[in-house]
Amino acid sequence: MRSAGRSWLLLTGFILFYVIYLLFGALIFSSIERPVEEKLRHDMEVLKREFLNQSCVSAASLDDFLLRVLAANKYGVSVLGNVSVTSNWDLAASMFFANTLVTTIGYGQATPLSDTGKAFSIFYALIGVPFTMLVLTACVQRLLYPLVLAPVSLLQRSGLEPRSATAFHFMLLLFLVVLCFFVAPAAIFTVVEGSWTFLDGIYFCFISLCTIGLGDFVPGMQSGQKYRPLYLGSVMVYLFLGLMMMYLLLRTFHKLSDIHGLTTLLQLPRCEDSDSDEDRDPIVDRGEASQSQTEKAASRPLEPGSQVSYNTISKG
Amino acid sequence: MTLTPQEEREVVATVMKWKTVTAIFLLVVLYLVMGAAVFRSLEQPHESEQRLAILSQKLQFLSRHSCVNQSQLEELVKQVVSAIRSGVNPAGTLTNNSSLWDLSSAFFFAGTVITTIGFGNISPHTEGGRIFCIVYALLGIPLFGFLLAGVGDQLGTIFGKGIDKVEKMFVHGEISQTKIWVISTLLFVLFGCLLFVALPAAIFKHIEGWSALESLYFVVITLTTIGFGDFVAGENTTSGSDIEYMDYYKPVVWFWILVGLAYFAAILSMIGDWLKVISKRTKEEVGEIRAHAAEWTANVSAEFKETRRRVSIEIHDKFQRAASIKRKLSSELGFSPASELTLPKRTVSVNFNNERDRNEKEAGLHCSTPSATNGTLTMNGPDPERGEISIIEHLK
Repeated sequence: MRSAGRSWLLLTGFILFYVIYLLFGALIFSSIERPVEEKLRHDMEVLKREFLNQSCVSAASLDDFLLRVLAANKYGVSVLGNVSVTSNWDLAASMFFANTLVTTIGYGQATPLSDTGKAFSIFYALIGVPFTMLVLTACVQRLLYPLVLAPVSLLQRSGLEPRSATAFHFMLLLFLVVLCFFVAPAAIFTVVEGSWTFLDGIYFCFISLCTIGLGDFVPGMQSGQKYRPLYLGSVMVYLFLGLMMMYLLLRTFHKLSDIHGLTTLLQLPRCEDSDSDEDRDPIVDRGEASQSQTEKAASRPLEPGSQVSYNTISKG
Repeated sequence: MTLTPQEEREVVATVMKWKTVTAIFLLVVLYLVMGAAVFRSLEQPHESEQRLAILSQKLQFLSRHSCVNQSQLEELVKQVVSAIRSGVNPAGTLTNNSSLWDLSSAFFFAGTVITTIGFGNISPHTEGGRIFCIVYALLGIPLFGFLLAGVGDQLGTIFGKGIDKVEKMFVHGEISQTKIWVISTLLFVLFGCLLFVALPAAIFKHIEGWSALESLYFVVITLTTIGFGDFVAGENTTSGSDIEYMDYYKPVVWFWILVGLAYFAAILSMIGDWLKVISKRTKEEVGEIRAHAAEWTANVSAEFKETRRRVSIEIHDKFQRAASIKRKLSSELGFSPASELTLPKRTVSVNFNNERDRNEKEAGLHCSTPSATNGTLTMNGPDPERGEISIIEHLK
């Protein structure tokens, strides 16, 4: 009875802390972005006035025109230049769209316009999202042994004690992932996408790999992009691999916190080890084999598509 | 290199799983390609339509207002588009529009970042904003993950209690466990769909003015955390409309997202469990077959060993008995060292005779002894068995 009460207390504590965190974020975002927005609005006003002054266009017709531009832009149709050659719905771009749908990234720079498209998206997502989650989970299970368990046991055999071995390994893995999946792709994006800075590249990588997918930066949307299908295909591969690595990181971190006792402290569900035999070996080789890891994993992986929060929720 | 049985099992399991993983991966790729083809066939016509429409608008505008040349217009449109991307709506008077970064909208934005929905109708444009967004998400996503896990657990307990009640209701009906489980899961799914999908969709339809399909589309896209951002509740996304939202609208939407996500998570884990059970069953079945095969071979070899053992023991026993008889015979015929065999010799000899007969019998030589010997034996009195033992002891 006491433990149930304690879990409720913890939950309310979490919710409270979460709300505070949101408020804090809101304040900071507001203070950073609002001045810029004001300036932009002011600039727009000036622009409009200038335009109206030097032309015969009436304000009403301009507004009307702008509204239509707005509507078209919402659907990704640009009005600049001639009719742009790149479609948002050729096969490569459609596949990219399907990929953003099933990984739950969901950029939104191109969204289904037709009713049938919307209905199809619903069904496609409902089936595809769990499916992708399953694939990612299966892949990570396979990768867990060579990338995590084997190196950790190697470290232990070379003399480190279990806790520091796991921590050191986690740091190493984190560093490698950041290097290969954030820094390197950002550099590549800076080169390929003309208008992106390095920070924009890192921002894009992070927002995509956490499956937030705001959509303010989407690769391959510039007009005149060479080898667009190949480019989009490689971005898709990068996203999939990146999601896998993020999930792996999260699993490793969860196991690490299990060993260091964090999960028991916060009364969180322990890292669930799957039904396979090799996963039952704890990261700590034989030493702390007494730790039974039978409870359901509550932590969901950061990415994907899966997970509840698909992403945040277990991908475990 | 010889593997222990456990290692062997692991190797086999690994091999099997790689095959499964590649199979599933190929399936996903196929799924993506199929989706791409369907999306293309559905959407491209519409896109071309839109494009033609806006192009004709542009030409119309240019022709109607001849003092505007193309480049000027392009310049204006470029600025307008970037303004729209920053969330500033250039149509209408720009002073009345509410900011996209006032506290409640920023709160909503922070929420979309943490839940990884990421609508994108608002996004940070300054460098500082973007860096902060990264850091914020790094900490906030796991935090939200824990929260969701907690909420999901509570939902699960409520669901479990509900199942118990349902089971109690059905106890008299003698319905099997699996049926109850299936029925309760269906009820859970239906009830949850009603509460977290259908009801909110209806509310959105009413308040936001979307069509039924659009509301459902928004609900699904949001609760799966895809979050395109073409429809966002509370952000007035349908162009040309100006909806007055109540103050508590956005927080309520937010709370719905939280519980709805937990619900979807529960459904997902249920699907995952089913898939695990199915895969476990197939694994078990395959494992059973292999176990049967192993058992059969083990049995056969064990039986073989047993037969060999029995035969060898029998032979050994017979050999031993033959040897002991031989010794008795030889000692009886005169080379026996025991001095105690004088007086009781007769008796002993009688016993011996009897013993010999008995031994002969035991050695399987199957001599039939007349009952007279038994009579003499009983005259002497010693218990046949005890006598036998004592004599054999003597012999030794």
